[in-house]
Amino acid sequence: MARKYGNIRFFVQFLAFLVILVNPFLNYYWHFNFVQGWYQSLGIGKLWFVSPLEGLESILVSKTIYLPLLIGMLIPVLVAYYLGRVFCGWICPINFLCELEDRLLRLLGLKKRRDLFRLPKRTLWFTLIGDITLAMILGAPLFVFLSPPGLVGREIMMAVFFHTLALEGVIVIGVLVLNLFTRRFFCRYFCPLGGLLAFLGQKRRFRVVRLREECKECGLCEKACPLGLSPERGENESAYCWNCGECIDSCRFEALSFRWVQEAGGEKR
Amino acid sequence: MSRRSGSAANQSRRTFVKVLAGALLFFIPGKTQARSLLASPVKVNHLRPPGAVPEELFPAKCIRCGRCAEVCPYRSIKILDIKYGVFAGTPLIDVEEVPCYLCMKCVRVCPTGTLRRISQEETRMGLAVINRRQCITWRGVALCRTCYNVCPFKEKAIHLDQLRPVVDERYCTGCGLCTHGCPVTPKAINIEPVYSFAEKNG
Repeated sequence: MARKYGNIRFFVQFLAFLVILVNPFLNYYWHFNFVQGWYQSLGIGKLWFVSPLEGLESILVSKTIYLPLLIGMLIPVLVAYYLGRVFCGWICPINFLCELEDRLLRLLGLKKRRDLFRLPKRTLWFTLIGDITLAMILGAPLFVFLSPPGLVGREIMMAVFFHTLALEGVIVIGVLVLNLFTRRFFCRYFCPLGGLLAFLGQKRRFRVVRLREECKECGLCEKACPLGLSPERGENESAYCWNCGECIDSCRFEALSFRWVQEAGGEKR
Repeated sequence: MSRRSGSAANQSRRTFVKVLAGALLFFIPGKTQARSLLASPVKVNHLRPPGAVPEELFPAKCIRCGRCAEVCPYRSIKILDIKYGVFAGTPLIDVEEVPCYLCMKCVRVCPTGTLRRISQEETRMGLAVINRRQCITWRGVALCRTCYNVCPFKEKAIHLDQLRPVVDERYCTGCGLCTHGCPVTPKAINIEPVYSFAEKNG
């Protein structure tokens, strides 16, 4: 029972990371073109995914609309609408690397640390608005070439294809260092993609639900949450939650569980 | 789209960006200069993949997913890094190193329409221009016709006029096979990216 979702999620993250890790090798050495790209745009055969924020920036900045782009964005947007920020929690390579870092520290026996720097959670929205505004002022989609989730894939691809690393990869290292001080510092406050997915997932159907009768308000879930949210204060229902299930694993009284909520919003159970 | 009204706004935007780029420069080591952060990397023999939208629109439309570089079977397409400023992550072909063989795979995978879906014949990556002072055939030194031999649209894009190669701009795709093949240094036939900046000037 312990760490049920944690282990499943880590496995899913690992598989998702494996895709972008192995794929450049397949493309480069065996010319196996079935899968291309990484989590900025992933093509599996004829099925294309485009990251919603990158697509949105591209549309807004270039002021042109391209139908395949919209179709590629459709599935991620629908997933975010119904399931919330599950991309962040279950797939994003940055979160995987942070998770790996966390697990390594735990393996080394380092005590679980408190979150050193905390900003208001609203920062995420300002990041999203700021990113889009700045991209439109500059006339170049900023997030697309500086996004840590995309950079991981691009660095792997650069290493395999050109035997070199792009300089902008330092951003990824920066994000991982910040994770040492505050868990998922970047994801919490400064990821515009996370912001957009959170915005889309405000009325998500799939969410963590707390049973008030079972809850003893022990505060374990708040300690477990990588985003520093407190389910006891109802923050599992907020837009910021990325449905990772850490709080469910930590709960000793089975007061928390994933539910498919029929109606958005209200106190449904 | 109104290109006319856009250009004035673009100018003021450019100056604003230059100021910003100057501030950013502090973080970027190397010989990078503020100008190069905004200057297009497209120049002679350095071209965008087939079907690319005009250079003015390119950095805005491309989401830097790198799929074109991944499918390119000849490894013609390179991905730029942050030293190229806002052009970081965009694809570029250095035809002197590896030319484009017009397999049109990149065009088929581009998710944003930055590379438009066009056929081989419609491709206009640039225009091959022969430097008649460099070309040994034109100078009358030797009877080389490598560019003619390697051209994928032989007799159309490059034909021989009294055994000397002549480019026809109606058919030249700018794939760079001729530049790659040219035995003279510096190259006697070069690809000029005349179409990348066409809309800006006209």
